[in-house]
Order: sequence, then structure tokens, then C-alpha cells
Amino acid sequence: MEHDPELVKRCLVGDNSAWEALLRDHTRKIYNLCYRFTGRPTEAEDLTQEVFIKIFQTLKTFDAAQGAFSTWLARVARNHLVDHYRRTKKDRVTSSLEDEVGGLEETPSPTVEPVAQVESRERKELLQQALDRLSPDLREAVVLRDLQDLDYDEIAQVLGVPEGTVKSRINRGRLELARVIKRMEGMRGPAKAGGRT
Amino acid sequence: MTHLELENLTSEYLEGQLDVVRRVQVEEHLKDCGPCRELISDLQHMMELCHSAEDLEPAPWLIAKIMRSTVGERKPSFREQVAAFLRPASQPRLAYAVAMAIFSFSIIINAAGLNLRKVTLADLNPRTWVNQANRTGHLLYARAEKFYYDLRVVYEIESRFRRLRSEPGQQEQQAPKPEAPPGGSTDRAVPGPTQLASVQGLMTTAAGSVDVVSRITGKGRSPSQ
Repeated sequence: MEHDPELVKRCLVGDNSAWEALLRDHTRKIYNLCYRFTGRPTEAEDLTQEVFIKIFQTLKTFDAAQGAFSTWLARVARNHLVDHYRRTKKDRVTSSLEDEVGGLEETPSPTVEPVAQVESRERKELLQQALDRLSPDLREAVVLRDLQDLDYDEIAQVLGVPEGTVKSRINRGRLELARVIKRMEGMRGPAKAGGRT
Repeated sequence: MTHLELENLTSEYLEGQLDVVRRVQVEEHLKDCGPCRELISDLQHMMELCHSAEDLEPAPWLIAKIMRSTVGERKPSFREQVAAFLRPASQPRLAYAVAMAIFSFSIIINAAGLNLRKVTLADLNPRTWVNQANRTGHLLYARAEKFYYDLRVVYEIESRFRRLRSEPGQQEQQAPKPEAPPGGSTDRAVPGPTQLASVQGLMTTAAGSVDVVSRITGKGRSPSQ
């Protein structure tokens, strides 16, 4: 967003409406990033909230000359997610049944056919389950590139690694993800794996 | 080009970032290598899956929750306070309440007989309102009662007249009875002179009773009282 630096300046002088505008612009993106890492909506909401609290506390350290606000925000979010991943490594062995069931629930659209809704839901579940099986390094690279549509240099800034490393991780991540998806589709049966050309 | 070399170039190849020489090498390899073609197909499928994945909507209360946990409860602006104060006024039930109040007030004013253009100090005394309402009520009752008796007399005359027309022989022999039951046939036989004289007598009696009733009800009292 072009007006982000201006909003940040207004936030720093105590303008709450500017902070609210920043939240409205970026909450969805950060929530989706968190969701792709955790696979659980409630956890993603908590993490999004924690990320923005951290952003609010460290807003004065943002330097517009060093990059876009959205890139800085993604970097803070990514670091927080990595910390969270390390912190909860042991707890992840058992996952919440509630989250598994309600993970990808969404309001059915009256204009979309029920069959199409089911297929869409299955595709989302497949993708999220496949992402969950990737290592964090590869997952974050693929998520930032293919789901968040960031450029290579932006991903390099977010991850804090050289662009060559980013390309390598994305390539490996995609290969791994494609294999996992193929394997999962094979396990689900040829009927559900249909639709591919 | 080996399989491993191709694997390392798959992302750049699919994103169209390879130079011409490299791209030709990859395509040459793909022509002869079934497993690598399948790999590229799997990667394309995976990327399609990722690109077709829509963003998920966070819970609607998430932003408010973050606002509370960062800057606390937001103080409403003056405009929002005014809007919140006036919000009940925009409800339809307020309009109903006002309409009902006006309606009730107009009924009370009418019953009390007040003229709003010439309101005197005595008109503001509740006792005057009660007296006036009492008088209006009695007047209304007396008018209704008078109307009822008038109707009754007319009906009685009519029924007596019909009876005379339907039973001419009997009427000549018997004297007319004021308490005779109403009803009779609707044939159009012409009454004789004796019958007409009887009807005239009845009419005179009825006129007398109407006069009596009028005089009684004019005082606001029923005959029984």
C-alpha cells in the first residue's frame, strides 16, 4: 500500500484511526499467512493478534527506506510464526479435533452448486494437509511465493536469506509439495483425483 | 541434461525465467523423458491448486479484538455520540408511540369539550374535564336511546300496518292491539276504510309516544329511570 508510511507516521503520533486503517488493510493477509502455517483457524486468529501487538509495539522501528510496510509486516509475522513453531513443537503431536473438523468450514454460497462446493472444499483440504507435511523452511517459501504472491526479493527480505537460497527453497518446496499432493490424491482414489488434464 | 539438473530448473522453467538456451535444453529433455514430463505435469497441477486457493476471511471481530488489545477501547467521537443518542428516534416504534399519544390526547380533548383556540384557566382544571366528559357521555347515551325508541315505534307501525293488510276480515271484527307481534305477509291487497281508520289511530298513538320519548330523552333520562 502506497499510503502505509503515512499511516505509520500518524500511528506514531497517537492517531488510532490510522492504526485501524492499517489493520483493515493487512489483517486478512497476515491471517492467511498464519493459517497456512498452522492449518487451524483459531490458532491463526490468535497468532494474527499476537503479530499485530508486536507490530504495534515496534512500529517506531519501521523504516520506509528499507522496504515496504507489507514486507516488514510479513517478516515480523514470519519470525513470530517460526518462534511459535519452535515453542509448540511438542504440542503439535496431538491436534484439536474441533479444529480438524471446523478447519476449513465456510459459509456455503447460495450461487455455487453443492457439488462444486464440495470439490472446492476438498481441494482446500488437500492443499492444507499437503502443506502441513512440508518442513517449515520449504513451507514458508512456497506459501509466500504461491499463496501470498510475493516477489523473490520480497521473500528474501522476509526470510532474511539471499535470493538464491529463496529460489532453491521454493524449487524444492514445490517439488516436495507436488509429490505429496500426488500421493494423497492416489490414496483418496482415482475418482477424487479427477479433473486433472 | 540429467534428471537432477532438470529438477533444479523446474520452477524457473514453469515461471518462464529461463534463458533461451536453457529452455531449449529442458524441452529437448522433456521430449524423450516420460518421468520428467510427469513431474512437470504434477508441478503445474500443484501450482494451479495454490493459485486457485482463495484467501480465507478472518473472523469479523478480529480487527476489533486487536484494536482492544493494542489501543484499548476506542472513545467514540462527538458525532458518534450524537448519532447514538438519536438512534432510538429513528425507530418506527417511536413514530407509533407519538401517533398513539396524539390520538389519545385528541380523544381526551374532545371528551372534555376543550377548544384549543380559546383555552381559559378553568379549562385546565381536571374537575372541569371530568364534568364535561360526564356530560358528553350522558348526551351520547340519551341520543342513542332516543334513536332506538324511534326505530322501535316505526317498526311497530310498519308491522301493524302489514298485519292489517294481510288479515282484513279479522281486523274489522277485532280492535287493534298495541302489543301485537310484528310480521305478516307481503301481498299487496288494498286496505279497506275501516283498516285505514285503524292505522290512522295507530299513527296518532305512535306520534304521541314519540313525543313522550323525545321529551323524556331530552332530559337525558330513560323512561325506566
